[in-house]
Formats: sequence, structure tokens, C-alpha cells
Amino acid sequence: MEPRPRIGVYICHCGTNVAATVDVEAVTEFAATLPGVVVARHYTYMCSEPGQALIREDARALGLNRVVVASCSPRMHEPTFRAASQEGGVNPYQFEMANIREQCSWVHHDRHEATEKAKALVYAAVMKAIRLEPLEEREAPVTPAALVIGGGVAGMMAALDIAEAGFPVYLVEKSDHLGGRVAELNRTFPDLEPVSEWLPALVDQVQRHPNITVYLNSRVTNITGFVGNFEATVEGAKEPLKVGAIVIATGYDVFDPRRKPEFGYGIYPQVVTTLELEHRLAAGDLTVNGKTPKDVVFIKCVGSRDQQLGRPYCSRVCCMISAKQAQLVRQALPDARVTVFYMDVRTFGKRGEEFYDEARRAGVRYRRGNVSEIYRRGDRVVVRVEDTLLGRTIEHEADLVVLAVGMEPRPEAADIAALLKLPRSADGFFLEAHPKLRPVDTAVDGVFLAGCCQSPKDIPDTIAQAKAAAASALIPLMRGVVPMEAATAIVDPELCAGCGMCVEICPYGAPGLDPLWGVSRVNAVLCKGCGACAVTCPSKAIRLQHFTPDQILAQVEALVGW
Amino acid sequence: MTQKPAALVIGAGIAGIQAALDIADAGFPVYLVEREPSVGGRMAQLDKTFPTLDCSSCILTPKMVSVGQHPNIELLTYSEVVAVEGEAGAFHVTIKRKPRYVEEDLCRGCGLCAQECRMHGRVVDTFNQGLGKRAAIYVPFPQAVPLVYTVDPTACLYLTRGVCGKTFKCKDACPTGAINFEQKERFVEVDVAAIIVATGFDLMDPRTKPEFGYGVYPNVITGLEFERLSSASGPTGGKILINGKEPQDVVFIHCVGSRDPHTGVPYCSRICCMYTAKHAHLVRDKLPNARITVFYIDMRAFGKGYEEFYDRVKEERVIYRRGEPSEVYRRGDRLVVRAEDSLLGRAVEVEADLVVLATAVVPRVDTPAVAQLLGLSLSPDGFFQEAHPKYRPVETARPGVFLAGCCQGPKDIPDTVAQAKAAAASALVMLNLSQRHKDAK
Repeated sequence: MEPRPRIGVYICHCGTNVAATVDVEAVTEFAATLPGVVVARHYTYMCSEPGQALIREDARALGLNRVVVASCSPRMHEPTFRAASQEGGVNPYQFEMANIREQCSWVHHDRHEATEKAKALVYAAVMKAIRLEPLEEREAPVTPAALVIGGGVAGMMAALDIAEAGFPVYLVEKSDHLGGRVAELNRTFPDLEPVSEWLPALVDQVQRHPNITVYLNSRVTNITGFVGNFEATVEGAKEPLKVGAIVIATGYDVFDPRRKPEFGYGIYPQVVTTLELEHRLAAGDLTVNGKTPKDVVFIKCVGSRDQQLGRPYCSRVCCMISAKQAQLVRQALPDARVTVFYMDVRTFGKRGEEFYDEARRAGVRYRRGNVSEIYRRGDRVVVRVEDTLLGRTIEHEADLVVLAVGMEPRPEAADIAALLKLPRSADGFFLEAHPKLRPVDTAVDGVFLAGCCQSPKDIPDTIAQAKAAAASALIPLMRGVVPMEAATAIVDPELCAGCGMCVEICPYGAPGLDPLWGVSRVNAVLCKGCGACAVTCPSKAIRLQHFTPDQILAQVEALVGW
Repeated sequence: MTQKPAALVIGAGIAGIQAALDIADAGFPVYLVEREPSVGGRMAQLDKTFPTLDCSSCILTPKMVSVGQHPNIELLTYSEVVAVEGEAGAFHVTIKRKPRYVEEDLCRGCGLCAQECRMHGRVVDTFNQGLGKRAAIYVPFPQAVPLVYTVDPTACLYLTRGVCGKTFKCKDACPTGAINFEQKERFVEVDVAAIIVATGFDLMDPRTKPEFGYGVYPNVITGLEFERLSSASGPTGGKILINGKEPQDVVFIHCVGSRDPHTGVPYCSRICCMYTAKHAHLVRDKLPNARITVFYIDMRAFGKGYEEFYDRVKEERVIYRRGEPSEVYRRGDRLVVRAEDSLLGRAVEVEADLVVLATAVVPRVDTPAVAQLLGLSLSPDGFFQEAHPKYRPVETARPGVFLAGCCQGPKDIPDTVAQAKAAAASALVMLNLSQRHKDAK
């Protein structure tokens, strides 16, 4: 029989984050009166070393078998306190957290009411803790290989690091060559180095690497499984590829300037995009209608920082691309006047500002202004712009107008998002797990992001992020095992009617109907403990461990009865 | 079974912490060396973080706790790397452990010593950017990892003058007998296959721009000082108070020293536009009636969700004025910021009770010394030079030595974390290679 609950309750001040609004001493005194509670304490920072030591030492000295910490969101410190409980000999799944910061002290001002609410939250947590059952954490083996989707610079760099660390990598590229967008570039900022100096060598290194298998003209059509054990169906591969981790490096699209018809792109041959100018610079031909331009204009933020077009974000590279191309045009056409119209000059990278200074010293004229339209006058075009420094509208005649087009998510991103159930942010790019501390991880364990599919970035930042994704992918591959969710769903075969609704609802493909018995069984390896099946089951045959009806109802009753 | 090859990470700010965690999670031992008494670095000093406004220490402390407890990480705080010999795969590193005058394994972090210290409340608190006072025996902040007290050798009466009253009050107060003034510096030698340099950045001293009156007027402060003023764990408990009063007019000045080849640095510091937007938001949140003005040259809101955050702040009655302030001077009991408004095309004067300077991110003072120690080169801006600015952004000219975070150049937290993980990937490749060599033998 289960021993009687012996609960330790710990109330965290979080400096003044909690204690300024909640009377932590009153909450502690109250907690000490609750059933099963053996000890109740409060401390400045429970997450600090002495705070954790309180849990460990009480657990051992008083023989605790349940721990409740009332502090911040479990997203912050649940792993910290689970570990501290475990070190004190308490099963980590018999730990419960009451969020009295985000859900209480940060959102209330009245000290009395906030204190009462904190007591209620602690009461509910204790009621749940009494009913918590011990669970065992298990590990699943990892298939020691990786899949990289996208053969641009991001995908290649991620593939190389994983391959160099000794693991087979399958690199899937939808076009007929590696190199992606960078292969379309001529020279790169801020050193004006030709891409041909390093990209072909990189492509060659990837293609020759004994650990890398490249699939060109190929797409990923299906992915099943979970971190450590994915199976990907790839065009051109005879069998499904088994991998432990996946890096997504599917890149970006460029904004189609036809969506800003006032710029006349597609109508006037004088109006081109930065990508088209890149090709012309490579070919050494800047003529328009057979004539050498005397006046060249660059327009920034075309399809960026534009709320009306639904593109509110900055594309991060266009300022530097314009500075680069303006310098190259000055070099190619020393007699031409080169003008850049900008809103803000964002040359933030290493040597970026210096490069912008170089462009101005080279005679590139920067004018702050919003371009309203471009129209034809004879065989030239006129750029009409509100010069915000002069405070008046000017008309600037030009022979060549370059539109610095922004980046946008690829339309296929939706397919990959659907394939892996990956969330995307409001701008349509893939969403990282945490904007600051987990910039390459995703909501799906074992799936990582590299390069511009996550948001616009330049080549050094793309490569850093690609290597970062490789590091994240290498962790499960090198460890050889991944921890498995212990709080999984289990089916009571006596109650199951075999209707199959759980099979349909599960996003992870964990339940399946047993053909012999006609009842559902949940594959614990696939189950993530989301609980969708448990609430769907019409027979109430599925029970989600750690969130059982009696545990949750006890919590609800505690709050409702407060 | 042979011991796995190890990595050395120098600097335990968010860059060093992340790099160490990735390598350790992949199964290799890591020595994480930090000069200060605690891990955490600059991020521990910040209040909220842009553009999501999560509390900085709330998202950082779980990582600090992890490095403190990770079975594969050996934390060497209050320590400095003093010698590096050998080559990639086989570096021999000497680490100086400075005396804390407190035994790490005995100190329980109770703080009784600091309360009793004769210098209590009299020593400038550097963690709080000098906005508060502490004792001569201290932890930099309550969530420090490790939570072990340290005697400040520049402030302790005994260590500076040889005498501290009749008895050591700190020693008498300590319940575990942890304080030990006999402690001497020690040297630890370790063998590692790869080294990650994550030594961070300094901020330019705005006294180099005397026209802004920093150091003269107490209500001219730096962005980092504002972080401590705004932080709930800071000296004012998160209240924006200047001389005990809430300011009515707050002026922020961008690019103090940045983009200024003549009296500052030629480069852009990359983070100031966004942290100033965040500061403006925090002032609006705490002082709903304050008038807030931001002087900028170019607004550089380039990261994911940044432009959207800037748009939001502009709608919160924050006035963005394009112009470079020329001076800050006193008028009565207030300040006046004089600037050339480049959109209006004329000089303007804005009265202020609080002026916040977004000072340039600069290389740490000891960067050349560290470069010499490790055999690294510096780029013209004084930060560590990467092997190739495009396709090798975290490697250096010296094989086996990698760069993470702002020691390579200014960057924000997401870019720092990404680069730290990138350095970890390069180190993992090196560690794997080293392992295979070992196995082959």
C-alpha cells in the first residue's frame, strides 16, 4: 500500500517579485495547516542553491514523499525542483508546482486578495500532490543519423558539422544543385569577396563527404516518429530514411515587387530587383535598352517594414546588399550618379557600419525618404520621393532603379509545417522554441531550424545558426538515448469499445487498434502526454498519468470551494 | 574505459553557459571558467529582455542552476586562465583560482557574515552598477551560482589595512567556520581538446563624451544603470527614482560612442536601439504620465519581432526624434538636452529629469592580453577576429579555439545563444575527433 502522504511545501519570495504583493509568511502558515503537510517554509529564491538544499535536506530528514513549490511558472523551474526532489529521495513525478508569480503576484495589486489567491493555488497544488503517483522515467535509443532539409548554405553547414562529428547525414534539396540562394550571388558584403572563392569548395566538400548522402531534385513527402526515431519518406530514396534528428533549412523567397504596382516593376525595363542586379553585376552588363546608365537609384524596404502589405518586419540584409551593390555600381560606372533612398540605414553587423561609410566615401549618395511612385519620362524613369530631411517632395530622374526586395517565407513552408506539426510565427516563418534562449529548437523535440526559414538573416548569422542547429541535433545523436515522457496515456481494455476516436485525434500517432482484441493500445514511446485522447474517449477508457481525473478534480474542487 | 576528451569554456555569461551546456549534454566533460564570483554575466544584470519582455533572470537562472549541477560540468568561478600550451586536441591549460577567503564547500550562503561586516553598506556594489552599497564580503546577487560568499580584497579592512577591530566579525558570525583569511591562490592544470572563448564585452565609459554630463549630473545614467534601476531585484526595488523622485521627462540618447569614428568607435553596437525601445516601454509602464523622448540616428530594429516591438513602443506615446544631441546642460534643477532635429532641420531643446545614454559595446579591456594568451588575432574594432567573416564565424586562426558571443563583436541574446551553440558544434567535432584518436590508440 502507498505510504501516507508526507508533503513539504515551499513558498518562494522570488526576491520581491512575489513577496511585494503576496504575504509569503501568511501563505506559509496556511500551508502548514493543510492535510499531509509535514513542513512549510518560505525562502527568498527557491531556485538558488540554498533554496534547493532546503528541499533536499527536508526530504531526507523528514522522510517527505511529496513536494510542492509555490513560485514561478513550471516552464521556468519545474526541472530544477524535480531534480532537487529526486536528490532528496522523492519521485520527481510526486512534485507539484503552484504558480504564484505569473498567475498571481505579477497580475494583481491588492496584497490581501493576492495573498488569498496564493493560498488557494497552494491548497489546490497540495490537494493534487496528495493524489500524485510515482512514475518511472525511461529512455529510448536514438537512430544515429540526421536528415537535413534544404541544400543552401544553412543546410550544408549543418550537415557538415553533423557529418564531421561522425554521423550519417541525408541532405535533401529540391533543386538540381546545392548552394541555394548564395549560389545566385556574385560578391558578398562587407569584403566584396566573390562567392566563387568559397562556395564551390563548400559544395564540393559536402558532396564528397563520406558521411553525407545528397538527394537532389528531391522532396520530403512524409515524416513519422519522434525525437531519436524519425522515419522520412524522401523522393529518390528507395526506403524510408531512419534518423534521430531533423534540421530544417528551407530558406526564403524574395518579395515580388509587382505587389507594389506604383514602382512599375515588370512594366519599365529600368526597374530591377537586387537579385537581378546581382546577375547583371556578375555578367558585367548594366546597360538598359542598350545604354549605359548615368543615374542609378536604389530603393530600400521594398516589401519590408510595410504593414499595409502584411510585411511589418525588417528583412535585415537589404541595407547591406544595397550598400554593396551601390559600391559595385560606382566601380563599374565611375561617371554614374548613385543614390540610395532609405528609411533607416541598418548596417549593424561586424564591419557593417564601416562598409556603409565606405559606400558614402565612394560617392554613393544616401537620401532619407519614402518613395511614392516611379513613372516614365522619355526613355528614363522618374522616382518621386518625399525627402524627409528636406521636408519636401523631390523628383529624381534615373536610368536604372534597383528595388531592395525583402525576404518572405517560402510557400512550401506550410507543407513542411503540416508534415512535422511545426508552429509558425505571425510573419509566417518557422517559430523557434524560445525567442532568446532556444533560437534553433522548435516545439517538436528533435526538429531544429537553420537559416532564413526561421527569419531573415545574413550569411554569417545563417551559418552561426546552422552550426547551432547542428549542436542541438548532435546532443541526442551523441548521447545515444533520449528521455521519454513518463506521463503517458494508458487504455483500460475493459472499458475500451474500440471506436478508434483516439487514433484519429492523436497528433503523434501513439494509439492504435489491436487487431486481435479490437481495443486501443497506446505506444508509450510515441505518447507525449498531451491528453487529447483521454478527453476524446467516449467510454472514459483512457487515463493520462499525472493528470488523472481524480488529481485534476481534487485541484478544481480546491479552487472552486475556496 | 578511457576518460573522454574535455572542453574548456572561458567566461560564464549566457554565451559560455550555453556552449558549456550543449557540450556537456552531448556527453563530454567541460571546465567552465569564470573570473567573477558567480556565473551569469551581463544577462544577470538585465531587467526585462526585448522584444518579448520576459524577465531576464527568470529565463537565465534555470540555465545557471543547470551548469551548477550538471554532472559533466566542472565550474571554476573566481578563476582565470593564465597559460595555454599545446594544440588542438591536446591543450594544456593552467587556471588560477583566486582566493575567496571563504571555503566553497563550507559556505552555506546564509549571509550572516555580510550583515556583521564592518564595511556593510559602505562598499560600491558593482553588480548594481554602483547604484547600491554592499559589504566587503558579498555575493553579487541572491541567485548567484555557486552561492558562496567572497571577500572583496579591495574593500576588506583586514586585507587592505591588516587589521579589522579586535576580532573578525565575519568569522565570528559564520556558523560553519567557512571564512579563512589564510587562503592563497591556487593553480589547477587541465587537459582539453577544444577551447571556447566567451569573455563578453565592456561598455564605453560615457565620460569620454563630456558634453553629455555623465558623472557631473546624477540624473544622467547609462543604459545598464537603467536596467538595475528598473529591476525588481535592484537597489530601488524596480521603482524609477532619481534623487527619490519619479522623473516627469525622460530622454534617451542612442549611439553614445557608437558610429562615431572621431571620439568613440566606428561600428554599430547592434543592441542599443532595441534595449532603448524596451527602456522607453518600461518607463511608460511604470510612469504612465511621463514624457518620453528618444533621439536616434537610424532606428535599427532588425531582428525577429523587433520592428513590430518598435511599432508598439511608438504607439505608447514615446516620441522618436531623429537627431544627434550635441550637449546636456543644467537649467535650474532640471536638465536640457540640446539636439539638431534632422527632420525639422533645426536645433531643439528638450527638458529632462532623467537622461539615459545608450553607450557603445566595446571589447573588454583585457582582450589584447587574452588574445596573446591564446594566440588569437583581433579585428580592427578590437574584438576577437573570426577565421572568416562569412563562412567560419566562430572559428579562429588557431585550430581548436572557437568564439562565442560578444567577444567577437556586439550581438543580442538570440544571436549570442545561436553563436554559442555554433561554437559548441565546432568543439563537438573536435572532441569527437580527439575521442577517435584516443580509441585508435
